[in-house]
Amino acid sequence: MQTFILALYVLIWPLISLVIFAVIGIATVKDIRIARRDKRELV
Amino acid sequence: MNEERFYQFSTVTVLALLAFFYGGTYLLTLLIKKKKENTDAFMVSNHQIGFGLGAASMTATWIWAASFYGAATSGYTYGISGPLHYGLWGALMILFIYPFGRRFRKLAPNAHTLGELIHARHGSSSQLILASSNILGSIISLMVNFTASGALVSVLSPLSFQAGVVIAGVGVLSYTLWSGFRASVLTDFAQLMAMMAVAILIIPAVMFALGGPETLSDGMSLLTPEQANLFSMDAILNQGAPFFVAVLAYAIGNQTISQRLFAVREDHIKPTFITATIGYGAIVIGLGMIGLMALMTGMEPIDGDMNNLIPQMVSMYLSPVFIGLFFILVIGSLSSTADSDLSAMSAILMADVYGKNIAKNKPDPTKMLFIGRLTMIVATLIGVVLASFSMDILIMLVFVGALWGAIVFPVIASCFWDRVTNKAFTSAVIAGLVMFCVARFELVPMIGVTAGLFELLAAVGGGVVLGLMAFGFCGRRIGLVFGTLCAIVLAYFCVGFLRDYTVLLASLMAYGVSTIFCIAVSLMSSSKFDFSQIDQKVINYDPTKPATQG
Repeated sequence: MQTFILALYVLIWPLISLVIFAVIGIATVKDIRIARRDKRELV
Repeated sequence: MNEERFYQFSTVTVLALLAFFYGGTYLLTLLIKKKKENTDAFMVSNHQIGFGLGAASMTATWIWAASFYGAATSGYTYGISGPLHYGLWGALMILFIYPFGRRFRKLAPNAHTLGELIHARHGSSSQLILASSNILGSIISLMVNFTASGALVSVLSPLSFQAGVVIAGVGVLSYTLWSGFRASVLTDFAQLMAMMAVAILIIPAVMFALGGPETLSDGMSLLTPEQANLFSMDAILNQGAPFFVAVLAYAIGNQTISQRLFAVREDHIKPTFITATIGYGAIVIGLGMIGLMALMTGMEPIDGDMNNLIPQMVSMYLSPVFIGLFFILVIGSLSSTADSDLSAMSAILMADVYGKNIAKNKPDPTKMLFIGRLTMIVATLIGVVLASFSMDILIMLVFVGALWGAIVFPVIASCFWDRVTNKAFTSAVIAGLVMFCVARFELVPMIGVTAGLFELLAAVGGGVVLGLMAFGFCGRRIGLVFGTLCAIVLAYFCVGFLRDYTVLLASLMAYGVSTIFCIAVSLMSSSKFDFSQIDQKVINYDPTKPATQG
């Protein structure tokens, strides 16, 4: 049990990072589409 | 140096990696480069940054090279809870400023710096206190980041420390100089994506290279009872609490954060800050786990230097490809923070110094842009020189931290309470700073009644920190009641105890004393400020700017 908890404790952070990586990536693609649609600059 | 202890890249390989990173970043900025940049875009991207780029930029800016080394050191020193006491509090501070950030945006939708808002609220003296502390803080940050580059290059290659410093300085300046904040935000996105990808790969790679979870389980026997305790008081008092207090001040006082706050579209502030909170926490705590794993395997840092922990673990257990990825990770983190510092300083000189105090709200946009770019060049030179000669200016960081701590309550109160005056703001900051120095450097003997009084003031400071957090999320009444209750409880525990933790005592005193002064001096005046004046005084500078988000 201790082994499992320790592994989870270490690996949960890269897993959360992966989720945020996806969230930011998808949101940025949306930002790019909206900027193109509105004919304005991305930044 | 260190050939036999760390993996060594050849000079050609490390130069190729740096050319790939900085060359790629520069090419990326060509996508947005305009022959004639707009001043408002140069400073805050016309307040039009979307959620994805905003969250990426906020996270990348908040993570600097020291974040990895600090989290790993904390994991190695304090065990299981160590990485949490570094990463969690840093992350929560991003979340903490979001409710106040919304207020700042509401009061001054066209602001470029927090100093402009304070200028409109109080005038030049309060504004320049904020601006000068930001300049000093960003110079120190630049120096630290360039130093990290020099150290990394000299440890992992035959190149000298100075070469690493100069390459980082030239590299960051090259892609930030022309487009300013716009370039910073765009490259932050790419740098963060790279950092996240590397962190996602490296953390499990190190764990399995060590022998997997079983090795960690076996390594628990190497931990002291305090290190094995998730609720270690040692970790809370020596790492968590001082860090919590320090980053709160940093979050409010630092222009790199407020610049992004003013740049993100107003309707995207909330998701941006929440995503950045989780992103920062996950990356930094995750890399802190490498320090914990080092502890669990009984590894000793080379030369006793904790900054060697991560390079040592990566060198020892992973293939050269991962070492290259780690190299990019550190270069990416320090560059994203350094370019934000350059953008922040240029905005302060452009808006706070030139726009408000020299041109009196009627600046010449061309001259303004020139000032911004000149600021970046001078700041980079200063950062490179300070880092190259390894000048010991970190003592200044203590003062900047204290200044920012003393600023937190006056800044927030000025935006919510119409009775705060310029005199109250200025005297509160000065009093907080002076009392901080007295406590931090023990200018009076920390015994008897004096120590007890200081501990009471620190308890007030603790109440202020927690009360402000409650106020931000739950409103004025709950904030006031919660803060008062916390101060009373803390007073009970602090007296006779906190004097042994000088750093924490002094930091909390800066909050407590500045709050007491700010309230007392404000109450002496009967004047009331009309907050609608701020929007009228804080303007866009460039007439060619497109319409801002409604």
